[in-house]
Amino acid sequence: MSLIFKLAWRNLVYDRLRFVATLTGIVFSIVLVTVQMGLFMSFERMVSEMIDHAAADLWIVPLGTKCFEDPSLVDERQRFRALSVAGVTEALPVVIGFAQWRLPTSGTTPVFIVGSDTRGGALRPWNVVEGNADDLATPGAVVIDQTYFDRLGTKGLGAGAEIRDQKAEVVAVTKGIRAFTTTPYVFTSLDRARAYVGTPPDKASYFLVRLAPNADAEIIRNRLRRILTDSEVLTTAEFRRRSESFWLFGTGAGAALFAGALLGLIVGTVIVAQTLYSSTKDHINEFATLRAIGSSASYIYKVIIHQAILSAAVGFFIAAAIGLKIVDATADSALPVVITPVMSLGLFALTVVMCVLSAIAAIVQVMRIDPAVVFTR
Amino acid sequence: MQAIDVAKTLGRGAGRVQALKGVSLSLAGGELAMLMGPSGSGKTTLLSILGCILSPTSGTVRVCGQPTAGMKPEDIAKLRRENVGFIFQSYHLFPTLNAVDNVRIALDVRGEISQTAVAKAKEALATVGLSHKVKSFPLSLSGGEQQRVAIARAIVGNPSAILADEPTSALDSENGQAIMKVLAQIAKQQARGVLVVSHDPRIVPFADRIIRIEDGRIVGEETGGARLN
Repeated sequence: MSLIFKLAWRNLVYDRLRFVATLTGIVFSIVLVTVQMGLFMSFERMVSEMIDHAAADLWIVPLGTKCFEDPSLVDERQRFRALSVAGVTEALPVVIGFAQWRLPTSGTTPVFIVGSDTRGGALRPWNVVEGNADDLATPGAVVIDQTYFDRLGTKGLGAGAEIRDQKAEVVAVTKGIRAFTTTPYVFTSLDRARAYVGTPPDKASYFLVRLAPNADAEIIRNRLRRILTDSEVLTTAEFRRRSESFWLFGTGAGAALFAGALLGLIVGTVIVAQTLYSSTKDHINEFATLRAIGSSASYIYKVIIHQAILSAAVGFFIAAAIGLKIVDATADSALPVVITPVMSLGLFALTVVMCVLSAIAAIVQVMRIDPAVVFTR
Repeated sequence: MQAIDVAKTLGRGAGRVQALKGVSLSLAGGELAMLMGPSGSGKTTLLSILGCILSPTSGTVRVCGQPTAGMKPEDIAKLRRENVGFIFQSYHLFPTLNAVDNVRIALDVRGEISQTAVAKAKEALATVGLSHKVKSFPLSLSGGEQQRVAIARAIVGNPSAILADEPTSALDSENGQAIMKVLAQIAKQQARGVLVVSHDPRIVPFADRIIRIEDGRIVGEETGGARLN
């Protein structure tokens, strides 16, 4: 075992109470950052989930649309104009909007209706765990997510409901289709959606454009832009970015999450810095001895940096275990925390950087060591 | 190792003290020299300057013939780790490392990190009679044993000179004698120059040469009655 590594580790665990305090600081910090970033990832996914699951090459959206949940409408004539462009095979209408779901007890709760031509498969529910999404073709059929059973006061498959004073029946249940706004999504047919939301038959929220194989999406988009009025033509990626930008940054939600993560980092850095500083101070005679017996400054820095990295590694390991528990615990909730492998690697790198930055104060202290003190202490 | 007309001023303003006033001294391989003098006479300052831990205000210091004036701190540190072994009054062992690692660290700072370094460290511990304590931690060793570990650390890198600051002052008479015996053996058998700073008259018989310092000046030098037994 490298002696630098051994010395660093032994210095850390020499005062166990302080080591526990260091780890607590790191774990607190990283768990906080993990949760904030996990929520951010979760929100980011939720914000674009509908867009990502729609079978569209291009989207025709009302001019100035900010996100998928934007309730503006586009005229049906745009659809026919789009279909006149060579290379466009389909322009499927999607109707979205808020409606009131009547609770079995009393009162109502808002839901977000997503309606499309189920035969065309424009925006069908996915992750169906009960029932059959094809049954959406039957009158009054709706599909809801199991996450919102309690919110909607329903027992799920086969349950009756009332939306905007019109009968509905749950024909399928999905798992994990959650809304950023926390308002439950309710999938239904295009006609029912119009009825529930109150959208006129000559209007739709979006038209999902499908292109012929080998068609050049960019060329067709430019053609569509030229002939369509009061609407925009976006690629899926553009619409996703626009939605994310609106929800995460336009509303300040993302900024709040980042601020929480930043706070966690600052707290963690300060705690680790304070601990490394006091640890270095306690071992200052040993560092002075090292200097006296001729060690280079970099050797001593390596010991301190190793202490920082070891703290980071142990702290991250514990934080990761807690993080995974949180992921498990929130998996089926309306607000799941998502951790991806890339995010885990990023968090580990962040932990190491945080701890190494924290070592600066200790290194500055060591730089001031006068090796002559070994003769006086 | 040589100091020529070395002067050293410590402190500033009203606290300014001239610790050394033109001291010249050389240490040859194979001799054990003692630097004796009362407290505040400049013994430790001279030792620090010879060991390149302090730089002189004026005068010249040479280590293995190389003048140290104008050298950068990292070059001075390199000169120190390659040519000088230190033994301190308070041992200055690493409490978190066992004996063999405490010795090995002197090699580690030189970049010797292989298994050979471990073997060398064990050999150095055997030289000071501690081959049975290689895995012991400082807190489980007696004062005499700790000082032996410190001696092993000082010699493991095969330096040309060993500088010892009051190596016996924290030890009882028996242990003090044993430590001096080890140092004398190292000087004689390994042909190293050993300079011991002390005001302990009991160890005078081990010295080849006794240098007396007072008030920052060398005031006398005499041949000692060096003995190994």
